[in-house]
Amino acid sequence: MSEHWFFITALFTAPENIGVNPESMFWLLPLAMSIAVVYKATKLPSIKWSALLKESVILFGSIVVFLAVVAVVLFAVTWVVTE
Amino acid sequence: MLRIARENRLLVLLTVGLASWLVPGGGYFILKETKRSLIVFSTIVLTFCVGLYVGSIGVIDTVGATAWYVYAAQIMTSPVVAILGYITAGGGFPVYSRPNEIGQIYTSTAGLLNLLCIVNAVYLCHTRNLQITE
Repeated sequence: MSEHWFFITALFTAPENIGVNPESMFWLLPLAMSIAVVYKATKLPSIKWSALLKESVILFGSIVVFLAVVAVVLFAVTWVVTE
Repeated sequence: MLRIARENRLLVLLTVGLASWLVPGGGYFILKETKRSLIVFSTIVLTFCVGLYVGSIGVIDTVGATAWYVYAAQIMTSPVVAILGYITAGGGFPVYSRPNEIGQIYTSTAGLLNLLCIVNAVYLCHTRNLQITE
């Protein structure tokens, strides 16, 4: 028991090795999913698993698409300014 | 008599808000919204734990260079954040660069999501009280 506890607490005492690269942007996906789930859990009048899943996936998709559009626009603006 | 009823109502609202802050989803649990409280609890705690896993408990920085509003957002998750802040205050858990950023974003977002749930639970309690008294 104490060994397991030590192992679990050790997981949270040293940071993970995450590089500054484009792949690190994928860390936004779990965050967007949790935002979608909690937001829809507060907004639905009654909680039904199927409805919650459907609404959360739609909101998650909307967030990701919006962020992708913003990224493309910013990339275009940067390209115009620097070229 | 009416004044006592109003004070009781305020006390109930405060209890729901405080329970939501102490344990994410606690306010919904008091309001007998068990499914909602389970979803909120598991999602917020998981988000917060992912932030701590990525950046270590060093992302809760009360004395370092972190902006005050990051800690303000983090502490909305639960008072447990204050205990973690006390542990990390000695500077024994240094974390920099991308893990620090991702850890802070995850833990602050968990806190802000819980703030949303606190407000929503208090509002839900308020509207139910109105329905009972009408």
